[in-house]
Amino acid sequence: MKIRSLGYCVRQGFKNIWRNRMFSVASITTMTACILLFGMFFSVLMNVNFMIRTLEEEVGVTVLFDEGLEQEKIDEIGEKIRAMEHVTDVTYTSAEEAWENFQQEYFEGNEEYAKSFSENGENPLANSASYTVRVDEIENQNSIVTRIKRLEGVRQVNQSAGATKTLISFNSLFTYVAVAIIALLLVVSIFLIANTVNVGISVRRHEIAIMKLIGATDSFVRAPFIVEGLLLGLIGSLIPLGILFVAYDRILGWLLNRFGVLNTISGSLPSVLEVFHVLAPVGVALGLGIGLIGSIITVRRHLRV
Amino acid sequence: MIDLDRVSKSYEKGQPAVDEISLHVDKGEFVFVVGESGSGKSTLIRLLLKELEPTKGIITVNGHVLNTMKHKAVSKYRREVGVVFQDFRLLNDRNVYENVAFAQHVIEEPGRIVKRRVPEVLRMVGLAEKYKSKPMQLSGGEQQRVAVARAIVNRPKILLADEPTGNLDPRNSYDIMKLLDEINQQGTTVLVVTHNKDLVDQFHKRVITMRRGIISRDVEEGFYHED
Ligand SMILES: Nc1ncnc2c1ncn2[C@@H]1O[C@H](COP(=O)(O)OP(=O)(O)OP(=O)(O)O)[C@@H](O)[C@H]1O
Ligand SMILES: [Mg+2]
Repeated sequence: MKIRSLGYCVRQGFKNIWRNRMFSVASITTMTACILLFGMFFSVLMNVNFMIRTLEEEVGVTVLFDEGLEQEKIDEIGEKIRAMEHVTDVTYTSAEEAWENFQQEYFEGNEEYAKSFSENGENPLANSASYTVRVDEIENQNSIVTRIKRLEGVRQVNQSAGATKTLISFNSLFTYVAVAIIALLLVVSIFLIANTVNVGISVRRHEIAIMKLIGATDSFVRAPFIVEGLLLGLIGSLIPLGILFVAYDRILGWLLNRFGVLNTISGSLPSVLEVFHVLAPVGVALGLGIGLIGSIITVRRHLRV
Repeated sequence: MIDLDRVSKSYEKGQPAVDEISLHVDKGEFVFVVGESGSGKSTLIRLLLKELEPTKGIITVNGHVLNTMKHKAVSKYRREVGVVFQDFRLLNDRNVYENVAFAQHVIEEPGRIVKRRVPEVLRMVGLAEKYKSKPMQLSGGEQQRVAVARAIVNRPKILLADEPTGNLDPRNSYDIMKLLDEINQQGTTVLVVTHNKDLVDQFHKRVITMRRGIISRDVEEGFYHED
């Protein structure tokens, strides 16, 4: 195949699509459904992963000490935790800082109420000095907690990863279901593309026979049909990406609600542009891939030259 | 130019369609192939086009041994061989010009060459004025002339014709044969399968007669003879 024949092949590809539009519409529709689902799945996953990451950052493990433990011992515990595997960060919060934070959080603007808690200016949270421990991955948190509990001088270890755990289990269930549906639609799309291209080949049997007698190369005979598959794939990915782009907020809100993932995360979720930064190229590649595989299967089987 | 060495072709078990034929055609020759129906004439043409593989024997065309030719080389080989059929085999959704230009596009000739060459060939076959007509708007003779134009537009070294006048009246048949003769005068080797006794007798060319898969007769400047 020469470069100058590219225009010819693309024109013929478009003609093929137009000539058997019924089949073209069928394969584009299926592919649209497939890639739309993929896009939705992808957006939800990206959001949920974002939530998990945020939670992982926000929620750490809080370590409280025995009453009246000397600062020396506390420092020692800190060193031991720091030395543990999977621990990424250990921050110390003294009892005074804890009280300051508490006041700021709950009595903002009404400091006089806070005063009533502390008699004689004493710290009501005297025993609340703590370490906040961050772990590299949420999966490692439990083993770290067990090990910290065994340390001498540790009174209590708090971890509040409930939400994260729910999200993670949601994530895997959702993934299984979505992957199964997408895989099924993928197979159907490939099958329909193969069929559409095959109709194009039968309609043009006569022309193909003449081309071969005249001395067209195999690749020249095949190229228009590969182009047809690629074009169908391209159209079938641009439509769902367009739909998703326009209706992103609504679709995502509905999905997250539907699956009971509450949008309780502080900070903003990834924007549609951020999601499409990855989703658009992946979606188009998926469409082109389906089109290519579908047409190659048919061309190999029915265009044995 | 064309060399067959004890070539046989059997479709199924039993009588071979072509049975140990040996044949030599020189460059620039004009050959008629005649013979009763089913004697193997079309099979011979298809062997020469490498549409069929011989069961036995060696076929050499233009110095290419067809038996051992790689699949990839076949398309290049076919560009050296033009072919015309009884049923024209034109593309009915395209006009005369497009049908002829098609043959050049298919072998990926540059557009500027196509624009120069197609009108030239259409003038040669006498269809310069009708270049915009669709095949269905042409007479049988005109359609066959389009087919001939398409067969020679890529300047083949050999032109094969399988009953090119089978669907034409005597007047058109004569004109087509005259055209093939002209093409031959310009240096192309021409091999014509025909049942047309009158034409064979008129043109005084080499006549090869086939009968049940063998060459029963091969005469220079011969006449139609079916034994
Ligand atoms: N595709 C095929 N499969 C099986 N047998 C075939 C095939 N094509 C031709 N034959 C047989 O081979 C023999 C020669 O056929 P061929 O078409 O070469 O004859 P022909 O000389 O061209 O006849 P005609 O003048 O009628 O065109 C015939 O007996 C025919 O039945
Ligand atoms: Mg025949």
